[in-house]
Amino acid sequence: MRTYLGIDVGSISTKLVLINEKNQILYHLYIRTEGNPILAVQRGLKNLKEYIKDNSLEIEIAGVGTTGSARYLAGVITGADLIKNEITAHAMGTSFLTPDVRTIIEIGGQDSKIIILENGVAVDFAMNLICAAGTGSFLDAQAFRLKIPIEKFGDLALKSKKPTSIGSRCTVFCESDMIHKQQIGHKIEDIVAGLCQGLARNFLANVAKGKNIQPPIIFLGGVSENMGMRKAFEDALQQKITVPPYNTVMGAFGVALLIKQNPSQKTKFLGFGISNKDIKCTSFQCKGCPNHCEVIEARIDGKIVARWGDRCGKWSNLSVTDL
Amino acid sequence: MKIQKPKITFARWGNYTIAFKTLFKQLGLEVISPEKTNSQTIAEGAKLAPEMYCLPLKVNIGNYLETIRRGANTIFMVTALGGSCRLRYYGAVQDKVLKEAGYKVDFVIFDQDPRNIYSKIKEISAASPWQIFKAARFFFKKLRFIEKLEKMVQYSRPREIEKGMTDKLLIETFMELDRIEKEKDYPKFKREALRKFSEIKIEKNKDIPKVGLIGEIYTVSDPIINFEAERKLGEEGIEVHREMDLTYHLKKKIFPWKDWIIQKKINPYLKSTVGGHGRDAIYEMLDYVKKGFDGVIHLLPAFCMPEITVRPILEKIHQESGIPFLSLSLDEQVAEAGINTRLEAFVDVVTNHHKSKKL
Repeated sequence: MRTYLGIDVGSISTKLVLINEKNQILYHLYIRTEGNPILAVQRGLKNLKEYIKDNSLEIEIAGVGTTGSARYLAGVITGADLIKNEITAHAMGTSFLTPDVRTIIEIGGQDSKIIILENGVAVDFAMNLICAAGTGSFLDAQAFRLKIPIEKFGDLALKSKKPTSIGSRCTVFCESDMIHKQQIGHKIEDIVAGLCQGLARNFLANVAKGKNIQPPIIFLGGVSENMGMRKAFEDALQQKITVPPYNTVMGAFGVALLIKQNPSQKTKFLGFGISNKDIKCTSFQCKGCPNHCEVIEARIDGKIVARWGDRCGKWSNLSVTDL
Repeated sequence: MKIQKPKITFARWGNYTIAFKTLFKQLGLEVISPEKTNSQTIAEGAKLAPEMYCLPLKVNIGNYLETIRRGANTIFMVTALGGSCRLRYYGAVQDKVLKEAGYKVDFVIFDQDPRNIYSKIKEISAASPWQIFKAARFFFKKLRFIEKLEKMVQYSRPREIEKGMTDKLLIETFMELDRIEKEKDYPKFKREALRKFSEIKIEKNKDIPKVGLIGEIYTVSDPIINFEAERKLGEEGIEVHREMDLTYHLKKKIFPWKDWIIQKKINPYLKSTVGGHGRDAIYEMLDYVKKGFDGVIHLLPAFCMPEITVRPILEKIHQESGIPFLSLSLDEQVAEAGINTRLEAFVDVVTNHHKSKKL
């Protein structure tokens, strides 16, 4: 059976999706990146391999695509046929499952984005640029500080009848405001609900400002798991928000679909063996010209497989066999 | 305190640096031309500069620090008169910042007015009027050629058959242009360079999307500051246009009625000036919409007041016309990876738009 693998490596989580020729999802995985994208990809591939073995599936990987903030790194170490930005990947995946989608809100660990679609293609988008307020890591940090498991964070927010107003311009102000409200005796669920409202407000005022938000609105990314955030967006937008199945792996699904649409003759996939190899990345500053580019070098079992990051191509054009 | 023998330096500004270097050299001055801006330059400048100031000021200071280390003692810096942005205090702020940090440099601050520039140049170089005229003539020749090359490259980059040829030739040509010190060697060089560019093999009839770059002049025309957006877009198969360059700016200074024409065109959106090139951004975007472009990218330094003021208007034009639009605020905190993600996604949006127009 010919299958296509999509890998989405984000700052907090790494996602794998395997689809077949009929665009059905055979396997999906969501694991934590834990600050080590290389290890996360290796673990993901190992899990996938075990799944294939356990179910004795006859699978041929006909193409691999990567997306997410570590897409280049993941692409190099897996031998991806396609490296695509996460905005296009999310738009692709979502519009496949919900063809009439007009707005996608996607909030992950570090990035939050809004994508506006028309007839299934992205026509406009925005991403947080200077400020990362309201993303998953911040919610994580607050859950940890309040000693609430992040999974329960949303349910707790829903219990609130009178959310506390929390300043949300910046996560640092937000946290100090939260602490202040705790100290004067606000109920914890009210604070948590207020935090969700503040973050939704921040997203709409900063990232989504000036964007033409039309229903159906789809909410994706790790933060979409949070019931409190779903409700906060519904309240702020006064519209129904849909969280579809595969909401946290949509980018990986999208890039798998993209590679399936344009498959290469022969995949460059380096195989599952990669998960047992020693992969290291180092970087050095090239002093060849005043650009002082940071050149990154990837080695698998000590052998250089790729170099990138230079502007002139002096290093990245060195074919691997030359080395 | 007057330093006896001036060793001139100036803020780096993309490829124009070559022309500025020539100008001062032709005046018989010793010039310490700033090296290409890199991450270290920016970090050093940002360390000294006031935090809430915009990126160009920080980068300028970084450039000076690098040239001061190589012996520069006199800085030539513009101050914009009239309803401009904070740029008009740049000279004064930079002077103060460097003096407070203990650097002994002379600041020659001039206005954007031919008479003032002439008198300042005369003051530091003691050159004869004829020599100044000759230096200026050569300066403008180089300046115009730099802009011509940049425009040619915008066309050939997305169409080239052998990838990377255009940029390779561009880098070589700029290096050679930098080496030419005698005006009499220039015509031959120019002919040769143009011939080489005409030999780049391109797909003439390729149907490709067009994107216009608008925004603050320094950010738009210095490739290092905008993370080489122009080159990246070109390599992704997009023809890039930009109106905003030094000649455009100088023309506006010499022919003030251009501003009046712009104001007339943008009246439905903005009835007053907002400083800087705010009006021009609106005017250019409307122009790109009219010409059927497939996208507009707005580049600005973070906290740039004129550009932030016009951004909602640009958003409005984008909503009304449906032209894809991306606004990127740049400062020393911005990571290149993030910019690349946005540019890549924008290329996809622009390509979709281009395809859908043909249906």
